[in-house]
Amino acid sequence: MFIATTVDMEKYITNFFNEINSHLKLVSPVEIAKGLKILGATYERDGRIYVIGNGGSLAIARHFVGDLNKTVFSRHLDKKIKRFQAIALPTTDSELTAWANDIGYDMVFAGPLKNYIQETDTLVAISASGNSPNIIKAVKVAKEFGIPVIALTGFDGGKLLPLADAKIFVSTEKGKYEIVESIHEIICHLITKYFQELISNRI
Amino acid sequence: MILVRAPLRISFVGGGTDLPDFYHRYPGRVISATIDKFIYVLINHIPHTKKVIVKYTSTEAVDSPFQLSHTRVKATLCDLGIMRDIEIGSFADISAKAGLGSSSSFSVALLKGLNAFLGKNLNKQEVAEAACRLEIDVLKEPIGKQDQYAAAFGGFNIFQFNPDDSVEVKPVLLSHDKIEALHNNLLLFFTGITRPASSILNEQRNNIPDKFNILKEMADSVFEFEKYLLGGDFESAGKLLDNGWQKKKSLASKISNNVFNSLYETGLKAGAWGGKILGAGGGGCMLFMTPLDKKENIKKAIINLARKENMSGFEELPFKFTECGVDIVYRDDR
Repeated sequence: MFIATTVDMEKYITNFFNEINSHLKLVSPVEIAKGLKILGATYERDGRIYVIGNGGSLAIARHFVGDLNKTVFSRHLDKKIKRFQAIALPTTDSELTAWANDIGYDMVFAGPLKNYIQETDTLVAISASGNSPNIIKAVKVAKEFGIPVIALTGFDGGKLLPLADAKIFVSTEKGKYEIVESIHEIICHLITKYFQELISNRI
Repeated sequence: MILVRAPLRISFVGGGTDLPDFYHRYPGRVISATIDKFIYVLINHIPHTKKVIVKYTSTEAVDSPFQLSHTRVKATLCDLGIMRDIEIGSFADISAKAGLGSSSSFSVALLKGLNAFLGKNLNKQEVAEAACRLEIDVLKEPIGKQDQYAAAFGGFNIFQFNPDDSVEVKPVLLSHDKIEALHNNLLLFFTGITRPASSILNEQRNNIPDKFNILKEMADSVFEFEKYLLGGDFESAGKLLDNGWQKKKSLASKISNNVFNSLYETGLKAGAWGGKILGAGGGGCMLFMTPLDKKENIKKAIINLARKENMSGFEELPFKFTECGVDIVYRDDR
């Protein structure tokens, strides 16, 4: 009895790991590499990187901003070297609620993006469905402006995928947020580690 | 004011197969990478002056673009219908005609900037095409297309020039550690000798029918070079570079000369795996792929010979690779 329950839970846990693994294997390394090249070029020309997402993706976006700005340079914080300029949009809760309340929720990213955007910048859009209207609006602002877009999407990629220059895509059934968001987090950590090593190499 | 920059490039293998007389018969291919040396073009709106001012090694101030001597600026302004109230300046990290593609980098930056000035945003493909159109179709320069594409896209790329005049871009996705390792195995020299590419390229173009098979081998070896880069096999890459250079020398009489040949041989004797003269030839820059432990000796041997030959402008040209292509780096006209 005791043993049977443990085995049953173990199976549940292993199944989840296996599911993550099977989807992780299908993510295109070429698209991640393209994303790395875009971020590298943005760093070289001292441009800014805007990261946007809703809900769980917002949490990933904020975590990623912290990693790009601080973790990448953790071993060299006392040195005078150029750093990433990653920005989570909007930058204040007052802007978020002002745009949502006064104009509409679909403008919470596109609105604040227009305050900052310059030709040297890059937009990273994180959306499991790829269909959040506020994400698509911001991506269209970026495309009209001519800056590169890196998409992290899931499910069938939604409207976001064809708009992106680097299409980082976790193909799943609709609604598999736990799989998509977990893998997005892994990819953000991969990117962080890559630049951590790149910076260390250059110093 | 709008400030645009476009990078210079090092081309490794396949140069010459980007000429239409070749790629109309067989797909041309070039593998190249951009470096952290840039051409800057600054565009300033000067209302009420009714003048066109162009500042480069000399300064021109005229009433209409038709009066300009600077052919590229003249053709571009006339084509875009910009007739007055504009000031254009150019700046370069390296002197022109160094074999690093600077004249096309200038065209790419100019077209990106002037279109932005008119409120039109050209993407990388569009700006490369516009620069090719300007230089090859409008100004009838006998040049190929690789430099315009390299400057527009930036980074490590393979460009394929198709018989239907379309161009395909395949990024070579090298990780930062491979790029760093490649960089450590390269030696770049500026010979101090500058030359216009046109006369050599004209001869080269006339020789295409006779040299067709050599050019075909050069175009095909691009993928082999890519494979060596991705695998970090710089010795094989260096030897392929040498092979490409030996072939390229045979394409036109003035690509190399006795001094360049002895500089090159000195590099190889001191242990370099291979190398080449960058650009059309006859001057410009020399590139060597070297084993790490012999790099300093090779450098010394080559510089000593250049001193002996009284090449006063000959010097090592330190560089890094860049992922950046053409970029508007500043504008305040929003």
